[in-house]
Parts: sequence; C-alpha cells; structure tokens
Amino acid sequence: MKLIKWTLCAALAAATGVWSDAAAADTIKVGVIATFSGPNAIWGKQFREAIDVYLAEHGDEIAGHKVEFIYKDVGGPNADASKAAAQELLVRDGVKYLAGFDFTPNTIAVAPLIKQAKVPAVIFNAGTSSINKQSDYFLRTSFTLWQISQPAGEWAAKNGAKKVVTAVSDYNPGIDAETAFSKAFEKNGGAIVEHIRMPLQTTDFAPFMQRIKNSGADAVFTFLPAGPATFAFTKAYNENGLKDAGIAFYGTGETDETTIDALGDQAIGLVTSYHYSDAHDSPLNQSFVAKLNELHPGSRANMASVGAYDGVHLIYKMIEAAGSDGAKALEAAKGLAWESPRGPVKIDPVSRHVVQNVYIRRVERGVDGHLVNREFATIPNVPDLGYEQ
Amino acid sequence: MSVLLSILVDGVAYGMILFMISVGLSITMGLMRVINLAHGGFALIGGAIAHVLTMFFGLSFIPASVLAVMLVVAAAAPMERLLYRHIYGFDELGQVLATVGIVFLMIATVNLFLGSTILPIRSPQLFAAPVDLGFRTLPFHRLVVIAAGILVLAGLWLLIEKTRFGIYLRAAVDNKNAAASLGINTARIYLVAFCLGAGLAALGGILGAELLPVEAYYPLRYMVLFLIVVAVGGLGSVLGSFCAALGLGILDTFGRYMLPDVGTIFFFLAIIMVLALRPNGLMGRAQ
Amino acid sequence: MSELATRPSVRTAALSLGSIWPVAVVALGAGAAFFLFPYDLAFLTRIVIMMVFVLSFDLILGYAGIATLGHAAMYGCGAYAAGLVALHISPDPLLGLVFGALGGALIAWLSGLVLMRAHGMTLLMISIAVTMVLQEAASKARWLTGGADGLPGVSVSPIFGWFEFDFVGQVAFIYSVCVLVAVLVFCQLVVGSPFGLALKGIKGSPSRMRAIGTPVYRRKVTIYVLAGAIAGIAGALAAQVTGLVGIEVFNFSLSADVMVMLILGGAGRLYGAIIGTLIFMVVHHVAAAIDPFNWLFVIGAMLLVVVFALPQGLISLPDRLIRTFRRT
Repeated sequence: MKLIKWTLCAALAAATGVWSDAAAADTIKVGVIATFSGPNAIWGKQFREAIDVYLAEHGDEIAGHKVEFIYKDVGGPNADASKAAAQELLVRDGVKYLAGFDFTPNTIAVAPLIKQAKVPAVIFNAGTSSINKQSDYFLRTSFTLWQISQPAGEWAAKNGAKKVVTAVSDYNPGIDAETAFSKAFEKNGGAIVEHIRMPLQTTDFAPFMQRIKNSGADAVFTFLPAGPATFAFTKAYNENGLKDAGIAFYGTGETDETTIDALGDQAIGLVTSYHYSDAHDSPLNQSFVAKLNELHPGSRANMASVGAYDGVHLIYKMIEAAGSDGAKALEAAKGLAWESPRGPVKIDPVSRHVVQNVYIRRVERGVDGHLVNREFATIPNVPDLGYEQ
Repeated sequence: MSVLLSILVDGVAYGMILFMISVGLSITMGLMRVINLAHGGFALIGGAIAHVLTMFFGLSFIPASVLAVMLVVAAAAPMERLLYRHIYGFDELGQVLATVGIVFLMIATVNLFLGSTILPIRSPQLFAAPVDLGFRTLPFHRLVVIAAGILVLAGLWLLIEKTRFGIYLRAAVDNKNAAASLGINTARIYLVAFCLGAGLAALGGILGAELLPVEAYYPLRYMVLFLIVVAVGGLGSVLGSFCAALGLGILDTFGRYMLPDVGTIFFFLAIIMVLALRPNGLMGRAQ
Repeated sequence: MSELATRPSVRTAALSLGSIWPVAVVALGAGAAFFLFPYDLAFLTRIVIMMVFVLSFDLILGYAGIATLGHAAMYGCGAYAAGLVALHISPDPLLGLVFGALGGALIAWLSGLVLMRAHGMTLLMISIAVTMVLQEAASKARWLTGGADGLPGVSVSPIFGWFEFDFVGQVAFIYSVCVLVAVLVFCQLVVGSPFGLALKGIKGSPSRMRAIGTPVYRRKVTIYVLAGAIAGIAGALAAQVTGLVGIEVFNFSLSADVMVMLILGGAGRLYGAIIGTLIFMVVHHVAAAIDPFNWLFVIGAMLLVVVFALPQGLISLPDRLIRTFRRT
C-alpha cells in the first residue's frame, strides 16, 4: 500500500509538472489523439499535415513558450485506446492540451480525464452536439450535423424545393442530419415525403434509388460517412437516372476534397451545404492551401485540415493568454474570434463550439483540372444549433 | 409486381458482383481447401494496378484490366512457390495466421504507395450510362458484370468438369499422394489452380469496384462478404458459390426494399438459418 | 510439465506445482510491470483485459477445438451489461463483473445451441453472423445503448467501497490483474478437471468420445457458455475502465485479433494465450508509436515468421531452442 502511494505521488507530481526542470517549463506539450492507421487513417494524415502548415507559418514558439506536438494513433473508433492514449499523454508526457479526436466515442471517453486534470481538449472533427456537454473542457473547431443540416433545409425550402425525401445512413450522425434538415425544411413550408434510413455497411444503393424515384420527391437530402458509402451513393444517384429525372441532390460532406476526384465527372453539379471548401475565395485560404501543397505535394485541404488548423490556432491563443493553466486558458478561449481559411469564426462562450458561416456549394471542375466545391450562397454566423436540442 | 421485378433485377445485378469478387476464393478455399484470408489482397492488388494504369498511365479500361490481372497472376506464381506451397501443409490455424500475415503485408504495401483513400478505376463513359429495360433502368456496367459472371461460371465449369486439368485438380485435392503416385504433377496443378484463383480475385476486384470501391483496407472490409458467399454456397462447388451469390444478392436487396430499417439484421439472421439447416452449404459435399 | 498437469492421476491438479507456476509468473510479471512502467498503466491494463478475453477463447479453440470468429459477441454483451448496470442499477464494479459474466454467458448459451451443432466453415460463418446481428441491434437501439456515439458516463464506485479508480490508472491495473489471476486459476481448474479432459477428447475425436458415452454436444455448449462468461467479464472490465461502451465491441476485427493472438502464442496452453496477447499488443504498440502509418508491415512479417518458424506458436520457442541446441 505504501509503495502504491509512493508511485501515485510520483506520477501525480509528474502530471502536475512539479518535477519538471527549468528547461522543460518553457515547453508546452500538446497531445494529438487521432487515427493514423487503418481504414480511417485519412483523418490523422489531414490533421498532421494541417498542423505542419500552421507550424511552418507561425513557428513553434508563442509568448516565450515552445510548443511541442505528440501524436498518438488509436486506429479508428476505439474508446479504450483513446482513453489509454489520453492517460499516457497526461501522466507520462505531461501534456497541457489535448487535441485531435476524429470519432465521437473516442472523444467522449476522455471527458472524465480532462475534467479531472483541467486540461482543455480541442476537437478537430467529432461532430455530435452532445459531446461538449460531457465536459466543460471540450472546445470544438469543426462542425456539428445540426449546424450544417439545418441551414441546408432552410436554403432548400427557399430555393424551390417543395417535396424532399431524406436518405441517410442509419447511425447517430445520419439521424442528426435527417432530424435537423427535416425540421428546418418543414418549418419553411416544404414537405418531407419519406425518411429513408440505409444500413451503414451498404454500398449497393440501387434499391434506395428506386425508392427515391418512386417517392415523387423533387429532391433528395443525404448524409453518409465519407468513404466507400459516399462514393457508391453518388455513383448510384447518376447511374440510376435520378439526375436525368430532375431529382436534385442536397448533401453535406459527400463531396469531401479527399474523395471528390475519385467520384469523377458524375459529381459535377452536386449541391452540398458545408462549412469549408478548399476553393473558398479568400487570401488566407489561398495561402493555407498553397503552403499545404508546398509541404505535402498532392494533398488537398478538407474540413479535417481546417478543423486542425483552426484548432492549433485556438491552442496557440490559449497558450498566449494562459500558458499551461488549463482553467484560465479555457476562459480565454471563450468568445475568441479570428479569421480562418473558411471565413470568420468565433468560439461560442456557452457551447464552446465554433460559430461560422455555412456555405451552399456546387461541384465544378476547377482551373487546375481538379473537382472543387464552388461556394455560391452563404448563411452567416451559424452556431451549433444542436446544442440546445 | 414491378417492385418484385425490381428486386429481382437489382438482386441479380448485386449478386453477380458478389459472385465475381468471391469466385477466386471458391477456387483457393473451396477447391484447394486452403483457408485463404489473403483472397481480398489479390483483388486489392489487381484493383490498385488497374487504378495506376488507368489514372496515371492513361490506359483505357479493358487493356488496363487485362494487364492488371496478368500482373497479379505473375506475382501469384512466385508467392505460391515461396509461401503457399508450405501453407497447404499447415493445420487450419496455421493457415489463418499465415494468410492474415500475407494480407497485412499486402495492405501495408498498397497503403505505403497509394495511401488509404479510394483508388478509382477510370471506366468508359458507356459504363455509367443507364440502360432502359422497359420497366426501369439499370447502369450498363451491371450488365457487363452479369455477362462476365456468366462467362466465368461457364468457363470454370468446362475447365473443372471437362478438361484433363480439372480431373487432375479434383484428384490432387481428394488425395494428393494417390494422385502423385499416378504420375500427376500435383505441384504444378496446385500452382496453376492457385494462379487461377488469384487472377479471378483480381478480375473480381476490378469489375466489382463500381460497387465495392478499391482502397487499401478492402481485403479486411469485405472479408466477411467473401467468406459468406463461399460458405453458403458450400466448399468445393463453384456452382454453389454462384447460386449463393445470387441468392444472397436477392435476399439483401429484398431486405433493403421491404425492410430497410432491419435489413442488415434480416440478412444475417437468414444466413444463420440457411447454414443451420444446411451445414455444408447449398451444394457443398460433406466434410 | 503440462503433460503432468493433465494426467488424470493428478487429482488435485490445481494444487500441483505445474498449475501454480503460470499464475505465479503472471502475478510477478504484473507486479514488475507495475513498478517498471508506472506511466504505461493504461496500456498495460488494456493488455491484461485482452489476456482475459484471449484466455476465454483458448478454452474453446485451444482445448475444445471449436474455431469461431465471433467471440466479440460475448465480450460486447458483457460490456453493455456492465455498462447498463452501472448506469441504471448500481455502480458497484464487482456487481458489474457479475452481470458482464451473465450477459456473456446468456448470449453464449443462446447462440451456442445453434453454433455447437455446426462445424468448420459453417461454424465460423454463423458465429460471425451472430456478432453482426448483435452489432446492428446495438446500433439501432439508440435509446438503450447510445448507438454509434457509444454509451457514455459509465462510472463505477470504489472497489469494496475503498479503492477508487484513480487518474493514473493504478487501481484499474491492479483490479484487472486480480481478475486475470482469478480467471487463470479458474481456467486451470476447468482444464485439469475430468470435464476438461473430456473436452480434449472431443477435440481429438468427437466420434470416439460419443462412442464411449460422452454427451459431446452438451459438453461443447457448456464450455462455450463458460468461455462466454469469461469473455463477458473481459468486456465488463473494459467498460468499467474506459467508462464508455461503443458498438465497436462487436467488431469483426476484434474477434479476428483474438484468434490471431491466441494462435500466435500457441493455442491449447493457457500461457500461450497470455504470451500471444502480450507479444502482439506490445509489438503493435511499439511499432505504431515509431511509425503510425506503416506498422502493419511489422505485424504481418511477425505473423509469417512465427507461423513458418514456430508452427506451434511462440510458446514452443524454448522447446525448439533446446532441441536445436542438443542437436549441435
């Protein structure tokens, strides 16, 4: 028992930095927990490359502190691995900030830890609204399904859609998107003729296309997880003649920059509602994209990249204001506003989620031959509409 | 009525893709009796080569596919000589471990060179065109896959049932020593059969890519699907795999049309039922 | 040594030296790890939980020769049972373990009635299908399980009302090791009992065992339920330590990993399960830390080397070395 207490004290001392020597006091470590391997490795890759860009642009020092990033791979949705990684980062490496977090379960699993250690955790992706209620130390620079789907519903209703069928993957984010879109669409005078929920593992969408056609709707709203599902769904949309039948396509992240070129010409014309496109027309975005291409040729910026880029910016601002004092840093972050590659953003003091513009975009072939999401309408300053649901 | 017809058409089209992606496995695992969990790996390599050829070298679809299948066969031959020839002799658990090791190496290789995102294969514009069947439309590439599936089935049936090679293969699988003592070069028979399985896997990977897009983790993502087709069909029967693929395709499509909310549960419960009632699969021989 | 332990004449198998030393080695190893790697306890706890899980799989695959690819079904049910009990009934961790074991045993019994009649490929496929059905059900029952977001907020009270789960993970580690040791002792008792010997006989030749009057089917269902209970305990442990249950507990890859770890270590020996898990997870962890993008090369190569050089698993390495040494 005595020995246990001794090591406990030692470990806690390390965790709170009592034993840190003078040189280390100037280094503030940031632990990045994400997926770097397996089928979802794209998340970690995008995060890491965007962090590289930020470091190249702003250096690794802020207000006299050296910032060091430590990466931990959790290999996909895996709450056990995520919590263990966070524990290791907090206890052994003594990180003062956590970041990354691609999947919701991985994020929620660290909630008790960050509460106890008073360490802010900046979420670069995981988009379930309720996450930020699990701990006051969560901050988020990505989006929530409510935030992008509700504007999509309003915009669709105001721009000619009368009858819409929703077709979403049958899991929590899909349901969030369906609910948010339907609510907004019906409130603005539209009618939802059918809700279709598609099994998550499906890649054969022909049966659903037939149902969408038969439903008599003039548009389909969809949400699917990025990857094989979005690839097959957009393909099926074209090949089963929905496009020719005049059924409009409203989506969200289906035309993500990392998979859009795989979709090919058939993606041209798809309309989506989202918070970031690498074709966003602003000098800051252009320099961000250019720097990314310089450091990692062939890479494209997507929502994960901008989530990480802004997340690191937020961490830098917190370090500037409060050094390694987590509670103080959190206060400094609330209400913080800055110009992001996606446009103007602000951290809402209550939900600790980013308030941002949501753009309606259409897929076009860009000047360099790549497919891009061209923004043509803006819904300004949208908060996390799902936080109070 | 038109719903039933639609289910049938979509189900057959989907089932043919299932057949094409798993027919290679019904050769290596079904006929040769090696638990080949690396089957999807050959499909992945075939698809990845076709991706590189069509996207980077500008080859058109058909020559690229032919070349990709040939390259996979060319790679499979030395693998058979170096690795698989020993793996045949392992017990089942050893075969699992060895082929999982091989598939990990294949995935890691593709991941290293091409990353983990989808590797599209550029196909002719014609492939994506909807074909009007009168009561509904079907994408042209589904018709291509249906035709390919029937050709492959017919070819394999002729090869296994009607040629000397087929007789030798069945003899070698049934009793290796007896076959060898009768003067059959079993090592060569196994080599040819294995290369055939690998080539068909590659072909299936390429043709099925419209529906099951190729990416580095393809072999693991769809492993359950391959195994189910071969198991339901019954080991040792290519025709069984064919019937199983069509049946499962129609079943899954039926679930999606009629019971979209519980489609997946319905599909797997049906598989449990079929296998519980027919433990050797639809057309398998008793083990 | 193991031959000695399994000979029927050794009636008090559990008390013999041969049965005690693996337990002692595990306890000593865990103690050493506790002091040598005080900052890696969270990872070590994951290894220990996985050892419990792989041990349960060894009972069915290694001893009874029942090869399934759906062992995650029991693990997942145990995890959800423990999570739901902690959330809705009582936060007591030991009660959670009991319910985890019950959850695992129940699903093992229900599915085992069908599964234990099947063989070979059919058995593999039905076990996969059962797990898929459970995962889909967990994903659909959002009101109960939280769906794909996971079941959050699983927190347990101090063990025996005294040892609270701490930040560093010391209590969680010691708690898991105690469970592992208890499970190991239990497995030894099972394996050394007449029931365990009957299982080995069934593995060797079911028809011969049937001929001498052993109810083969019933024995197989029994061991499947026992293994299911232990797998449920492993799932419950994971739920309590992590504080969240995700639908990933039913992943096919988890079932496959368990099989790989067991074969790697050597199926049919309890310490094969322990060693296989340890080596697989440590190699994975270290390789992933060095190169998060390409560690799969290392794992793949390791599996191939082991299966070609040591067909009986890592556990046969000492025998192999001794034989090679004697020959020269």
